[in-house]
Amino acid sequence: MSHEKLENSLDEKKLKKLHCIVAAVLLILVLSALYAVWSGEGSLTLFYIMDNIPIYFHVDALARVFVTVTSIVWLLAGFYAFIYMGHEGNEKRFFFFYILVYVVLIALELSGNLVTLYFFYELMTLTSMPLVLHNGSREAIMAALKYLFYSMCGAYCALFGIYFLYQYCDTLTFRAGGTLNMTLVSGNETILLISVLMMLIGFGAKAGMFPLHSWLTSAHPVAPAPASAVLSSIIVKGGVLAIIRSVYYIVGVDFIRGSFVQTAWIILTLLTVFMGSMLAYREKVFKKRLAYSTVSQVSYILFGLAMLTPEGFVGGVLHVICHAFIKCALFLAAGSFIFHTGRTRVDEYAGIGKHMNITLWCYTIASLALIGIPPMSGFISKWYLAQGALQSQTGIFRFLGPAVLLLSALLTAGYLLPVTIKGFLPGKDFIPETGEGKESECRKERLDIMNAALIILAWFSILFGVLPNPLISYVSEIAYRLFQGGIR
Amino acid sequence: MSSYIMVIAVLLPMIGGALIPLLPFSKRNMMAVYIEIIVLITSALTFMLIFNRPVDAFVLFRFTGQLSISFRLDAAGSVFATILAFMWPLATLYSFEYMKHEGHEKIFFAFYTITYGITLGISMAEDIVTLYFFYEMLTLVTVPLVLHTLSREAVLATRTYLYYSLGGAAFAFIGMIFILIYGNSSNFTPGGVMDLSRMGDNTNLLLLIYVICFCGFSVKAAMCPFSGWLPKAGVAPTPVTALLHAVAVVKAGAFATMRITYFSFGTELLRGTWAQYLLLALAIFTIVFGCSRALKETHFKRRLAWSTVSNLSYILFGVLLMSPLGLAGALTHMLSHALMKITAFFCAGAVIYKTGRNYIHQLDGFGKKMPKIMVIYTISALALMGVPGLCGFTSKWYLAKAAVATMNPIGYIGVAAILVSALLTAIYMLTVTVRVFFPGKDFDYESISDVEDPNWVMILPLVIFVIVMFVVGLHPQFMTDAVSSVVAASF
Repeated sequence: MSHEKLENSLDEKKLKKLHCIVAAVLLILVLSALYAVWSGEGSLTLFYIMDNIPIYFHVDALARVFVTVTSIVWLLAGFYAFIYMGHEGNEKRFFFFYILVYVVLIALELSGNLVTLYFFYELMTLTSMPLVLHNGSREAIMAALKYLFYSMCGAYCALFGIYFLYQYCDTLTFRAGGTLNMTLVSGNETILLISVLMMLIGFGAKAGMFPLHSWLTSAHPVAPAPASAVLSSIIVKGGVLAIIRSVYYIVGVDFIRGSFVQTAWIILTLLTVFMGSMLAYREKVFKKRLAYSTVSQVSYILFGLAMLTPEGFVGGVLHVICHAFIKCALFLAAGSFIFHTGRTRVDEYAGIGKHMNITLWCYTIASLALIGIPPMSGFISKWYLAQGALQSQTGIFRFLGPAVLLLSALLTAGYLLPVTIKGFLPGKDFIPETGEGKESECRKERLDIMNAALIILAWFSILFGVLPNPLISYVSEIAYRLFQGGIR
Repeated sequence: MSSYIMVIAVLLPMIGGALIPLLPFSKRNMMAVYIEIIVLITSALTFMLIFNRPVDAFVLFRFTGQLSISFRLDAAGSVFATILAFMWPLATLYSFEYMKHEGHEKIFFAFYTITYGITLGISMAEDIVTLYFFYEMLTLVTVPLVLHTLSREAVLATRTYLYYSLGGAAFAFIGMIFILIYGNSSNFTPGGVMDLSRMGDNTNLLLLIYVICFCGFSVKAAMCPFSGWLPKAGVAPTPVTALLHAVAVVKAGAFATMRITYFSFGTELLRGTWAQYLLLALAIFTIVFGCSRALKETHFKRRLAWSTVSNLSYILFGVLLMSPLGLAGALTHMLSHALMKITAFFCAGAVIYKTGRNYIHQLDGFGKKMPKIMVIYTISALALMGVPGLCGFTSKWYLAKAAVATMNPIGYIGVAAILVSALLTAIYMLTVTVRVFFPGKDFDYESISDVEDPNWVMILPLVIFVIVMFVVGLHPQFMTDAVSSVVAASF
């Protein structure tokens, strides 16, 4: 791909300076966020936004997991972007919003009550929108608007729930096991269940859950690759976190267990898992395929959470972590393909492994992890998801759930691996294209920041599969506290 | 504080305004200074009155028996008076710059200033007769303002405005008569004045009258099906659409409905009746209807006007919940909507003033050329959507809290309507933002090379409004405390 000067792009020297500043700011932010969460439990009350509701931050084990994952992914994708954004232009705006979204996300993950969470949830939508419409094409702008309106729709559905929870809860501050005031609730269960369902659907919009999922496959692919990587691996998890916080820390699992809300939730997640995989299988545009895969995979997480069992919860949180690294790796790999060849469709990637073998290897490792082949990381999380389903009391879904997950894993293999196979083994009839502008491809790719980031991510997806125990015990500890002794 | 100061506050702008065409100003600036001084003195007096409320009423003159023009500033009235006294000087400042290109300034400012006195009169009216008197006057003095450009469109809009308003006032008049007949007194009293013993079997008749009277006053608050005049009246110069048709006049309507509901008919009589549910249903319908029309509209100011229609019904919805929480929600939204909408309108006005463009599709790429105005517009848009941290979230929170606390399905539907409308608001406000900041990659900035931000006279009021929006959104304590003391005094 030729690198002619792009509009709004900076000259070499300024660009270097910008990169230095961005790298420094990002490192400082990441280190301070990590320090803040790992230096012990703490809380911070900023000011009162409502009579008795402060903007309040609290560090707990769950927040620690989310912040750590976010920080690592953000850092790697950020470094990747230094080179990648060279062909997108307008770097200043990109990095400005990139850093801003990071700050908002950390605040979201540390929020200690529902209103603070909602506050940063909305901010997350608004600040991440410019990442989507970065390239300014009509398609990107329409996708960004779609993203905005779906997210807003979701946020307002959630707000509907929050209004009701405010009435029926002792406090909106998160507390393991929930804060519902049962004396107030008695007699008004139905409206409260409806509002919980609204919250699930609303926050589920961000997590790409059916019926508010369709923005995801428009918005993620049009963004520049580093942006789609973080959108798909981290920002969707904002919705997951919001659901965990409201279901496990505000409403409480006992109130939902066995109600129509749980059934509806399970049906929605299973539908999404299956639909996402099917559509990914059918999709030919590579980044769109990965976006459909996100739709499906994030609903794995939600399915685990919907089981309302300790194992399901552990599986969900583990899959949050695994999927974050894996999907980031996949999108960055897709970005590298586009960066080096300018090709976007799956069927154009035949023979690509000859020149881009590092990227394609990393892609393959991440794919295997996502499919869930031991000893890769996806296996561990899926194991717990299935365990959680089997040990729940959800009637037919105890078996149907794992069956759908397995079927979807098969489809995952079906839509991810062909790229590897065709890439390395294009077949003997394959004639590599030659011609003008193709010289750059003919060189073998060298090690640079882009594929260094990819390699690290690929290692992560192996690491968690090989040495899962510290992680599992840490997450189980969270589940243990939530369920008061349900898991050992 | 002595009670006669209220009369001064009401009469000063009326007389001072009426004198504007007669006084021989040597320069335009002289007139500006004169008007600003009058407005500032009035606002200062009003604030003194609000913080130091006189105990007694002041009777200006008495027609006969009960009927008198008398003033008394109570807690609810001071909320409305605060909005007016805070916004009028700033809006006047903005108008000096804006009206440069509209002409007929003397006439304009004369009526503009008179309106200030009359709306203050509404906020300080002690009884239904005074309220009605000023309400009618408000219609009459604002007619020349809508008519200002004298174009055919303006004439038609004025005609519509007159018919709607006078018709509404006639309905309100019916209500007034019944209050005088069945009430103990015509004064506004917390809890209402209706004499239950005098009513006998006429409760249903009285409820019907309440509905008629409410509808009459809600014409100015643009409740559906009486909302048609408001978007049409957008032909008026922007200071009129911004201050009168988003704040003063329409809020006067909402305020009047608050008066008759809580202080004349009384919530005891009305709560749980078909009258309440009927009107609630209308308000809820208007909330969604206004937003959908805004979505369809491509004329910038008319879109904002439809948005006003929807937001005014938020206030009416709060009023109609007929609970202390509902009144608190209505008052909070009255304050915060005034801020948000006047800001949005002033931004639209700045665009018209600088470029003469009225339609949204003409605004591509303006974000780069008018960054200040467009950033301020976006903030007001976010506030209107109810993004936390800005005043819109606070007021919607209180409205929703009140609606949820009713434990009534119609309250729940109201919450849903507010959220649907919030989503529609996001769509119709933010499409403009996206358009102006991200016009697409092939956009030719040369075509709008002459567009620029207006000068500080226009920007300053906007910046102040934005700061207040943030303060109210992030630290609403002082406002909610004030509102809850008002509510405590009104029940």
